Amino acid sequence: MYKLWSLAIVDGSLYLFNASLKFTKYLYTKLFLKNLMAQQQMTPEQLQEKIKNMSPEELKEFQKKQCVFCQIIEGKVQSRKIYEDNVCYGILDINPLNPGHVLLLTKEHYSIMPQIPDEEVIHVFTVARNLSNTILRSLEAEGTNIIVANGIAAGQRAQHFMVHVIPRKANDGVNFQLPQRQMQQQDIDEIGDKIVNALSSLFGIGQKTEQKGAPAPMPKIVEAEFKEEDKRKKQPKIEKPAMQQNPDKKKEKKETPDEASSGIDLDDIAKLLGAK
Amino acid sequence: MAQNCLICGIIEGRIPSKKIYEDDTALAVLDVNGSNPGHCFVMPKIHYPIFEQVPDFEIGKLFSISNKISGAIFDALKVHGTNLFIANGIPAGQTVAHFMINVIPRKENDGINLQWQPKQLSEEEMSTVELKIKEHMDKVGVPQSQSKKQASKKPLNEDSSEESREYFMRQLTRIP
Repeated sequence: MYKLWSLAIVDGSLYLFNASLKFTKYLYTKLFLKNLMAQQQMTPEQLQEKIKNMSPEELKEFQKKQCVFCQIIEGKVQSRKIYEDNVCYGILDINPLNPGHVLLLTKEHYSIMPQIPDEEVIHVFTVARNLSNTILRSLEAEGTNIIVANGIAAGQRAQHFMVHVIPRKANDGVNFQLPQRQMQQQDIDEIGDKIVNALSSLFGIGQKTEQKGAPAPMPKIVEAEFKEEDKRKKQPKIEKPAMQQNPDKKKEKKETPDEASSGIDLDDIAKLLGAK
Repeated sequence: MAQNCLICGIIEGRIPSKKIYEDDTALAVLDVNGSNPGHCFVMPKIHYPIFEQVPDFEIGKLFSISNKISGAIFDALKVHGTNLFIANGIPAGQTVAHFMINVIPRKENDGINLQWQPKQLSEEEMSTVELKIKEHMDKVGVPQSQSKKQASKKPLNEDSSEESREYFMRQLTRIP
């Protein structure tokens, strides 16, 4: 669904942005490049130059190379493997919350969940359910937590998508805080409508009641994205061309301070990737 | 449908709610007392108290919808991240005896804490855990195709039936 990504370097770290600029700067993933820069003795600028000249395939390879979990899957880094099939790979976490904490990874490199195709999501979570079942039995746990984090704000540490399957016992010293907040009815309605609208456009339809088969509307979305790309190409040399198409988004953009992308020409990189 | 289940009440419409998505197997609603604005629940329409009881088909439906909602939240609410959170069993923080997936919009410093202090385990302890889990791994495999899915579904239920029913009943009594 979200396949167009661009990269930018801020403060010596490489950030991955969604090039459709829908999520703008918020949905970034930080790639840790200090080791790489030390190895190759390059400045961030040189590295950025190198990345700019890469094709999308090379870029994906490059990301994979930086990802410790991809190396685990390839067997280059040692791990305690629990489960493997052709889509996913389960290992024991080396920094577990409780003994038996399992990380279920996708074999393909994805940063966040919305990038993953439906079939793989379904497969991964079916395995997660079976793993949870196994953990309950084998470790005599009294419950399990299944956690997915998308984005740094959500607590994502690695740039590889993973499902945490965590065995829990009473009084194990873990305290997840999910505070309850009272909300006004009108706020609820407003937020609900916003989400419903966004969801409908994701499904590629206008009416909520028509949402039946989840995978069916997928091609429409892809088509729409390409159209957007075409439009962007037709508007040369305008700053943030994607924003120009949508006045609402432009407003939002102005309201939020843009510290992450300041000084970096995201559009150039986006165009580069958009060639795909 | 369980009579005294809050979630079943929402599904039947006895309790008012703001619906985000509905089809014949799944329902997504906004949490009234959500931890962040936009906190959603995705739940199966049939009453399954815990994760392990939910059949393959429903798992697929629920998670593909959760994934879409997660994407929609990014688009609609301009949040910085999302969490999918499942509490399965009382020690894990489950409060309602109906399986559901929490989709939580996240911003930095929003007061939600899903982090943990890692426990240090010795190599020996890790090996013990690994072995223990591997002993029970025969049930984890996921069938490759639809036809195989149907075929292998039955044996999976059969060989775990006695033990699991007992286990599930125990879990049920634990949930208020």
